[in-house]
Amino acid sequence: MCGLCGLMGIEHWTETSANSEAFISDTNRSIRNERAHRVELINRALGPLKMRVRDFQASSYTLTSATGRTEIVHDIQSLWVAVENISACPVDPLDPDYLDHLFGESP
Amino acid sequence: MIPVNIVTGFLGSGKTTLLKEILARPEFSDTAVIVNEFGEIGLDHILLEEVEEGVLLLQSGCVCCTIRSDLQETIRNLQKKVSDGEIPVFRRLIIETTGIADPAPVVSTISTERVINKHFYVGNIICTVDSLTGLSNLQSSPEASKQVAIADRILITKTDIADTIKRGLLENTLVRINPSASFRNSTGKNFDAKHIFLDEFRDPATRSDEILAMLKRDASLPKRMKRETSAHHHEISSFSVEFSVPIDWVAFGVWLTAVLHVHGENILRVKGILDVRESNTPVFINGVQHTMHPPIHLDQWPDENRYSQIIFITRAIHEDLIRRSLLQFLGLTTEGYHIQSAVDQTKLFN
Repeated sequence: MCGLCGLMGIEHWTETSANSEAFISDTNRSIRNERAHRVELINRALGPLKMRVRDFQASSYTLTSATGRTEIVHDIQSLWVAVENISACPVDPLDPDYLDHLFGESP
Repeated sequence: MIPVNIVTGFLGSGKTTLLKEILARPEFSDTAVIVNEFGEIGLDHILLEEVEEGVLLLQSGCVCCTIRSDLQETIRNLQKKVSDGEIPVFRRLIIETTGIADPAPVVSTISTERVINKHFYVGNIICTVDSLTGLSNLQSSPEASKQVAIADRILITKTDIADTIKRGLLENTLVRINPSASFRNSTGKNFDAKHIFLDEFRDPATRSDEILAMLKRDASLPKRMKRETSAHHHEISSFSVEFSVPIDWVAFGVWLTAVLHVHGENILRVKGILDVRESNTPVFINGVQHTMHPPIHLDQWPDENRYSQIIFITRAIHEDLIRRSLLQFLGLTTEGYHIQSAVDQTKLFN
């Protein structure tokens, strides 16, 4: 994570909290709840690569590989970069073989 | 925030003529212009800067994610000159690309450079297409097809000297490559500059009509026609995916970010309205390759239809794979989404 991001309060476009004017609902999740849900979905997507992600103080995510290598990333975009760096292959949602692995356990 | 319009278009398609015309109009008097080169047609404008090509490749980036270091510096210099009182304050910036340039790195520079994106945002991307040579350029040049695919506005130029049949063929081709863009004709002087430059999705007054027109254009195209276009235009195709049930925004974000990470270079545009669980009213999304603009809240649905409709313009990516993947990530069954081909079949026989 870049320290500047935290200082300047840069949030990713996928975070509803960064676009509160765009997401107006009676059933709005809290920030922590939204992050927990995102972590759950990402972990399902990472299942075939045997990697796990965890929320880190509601400001970052920690990504851990099967061998225990861990990286801290600021947002979901950086996460996919880190996944590719660690595992040498990306999560490719358009790979039919990958989708076959996810079959029956849709996120 | 200052809007940045990117003017792209193939060699000789009329970009500089367009600039020369609008800069003479009073509503564009406080516009700064950045050009790649001073062309043969002289632009007499106080806020004119030239930029030379130079790129910085981001750590994670493909070509479309490069930061144009030249552009970055030129924009910062413009701001510095304003603060030093060397040039007047400007309220719009227009960047003209070269005829064979890929406009995506310009979008990336404005959107991701952390000083620039605090003061500027990407407004309409305008593509000029020559009505005489446009069709052959689109068939022979991948750059020309990509410029059309990325545009928000397409200005068909020299329409006063092109025959009607040729113009009709060109318009049919353009709308199939990019149904999300709106079209206007130009004879050099007479064109709708307000629509081309000033009306935009960020404007609450006009965006509902804009979005409705975009969705209607896309819905009016039979799928078969889009496939035929793809075969002749460098595998660029457009299709839409529709969901009849509210979708999970977080799951959509997980899916789209993962897809763009691997395939962003070939997802030329994503535009649409979403019925998301996290909002009672629709959310508009808009992206160019790896760059997604912040989602926009709409006060109401543009018409009586209340379902998510996402238009994809892709290169060499099959729509069935996008549908299957998105459905799986959203945890939906096929009952949750409309199958566009069924709609298309009906239209073909009506």
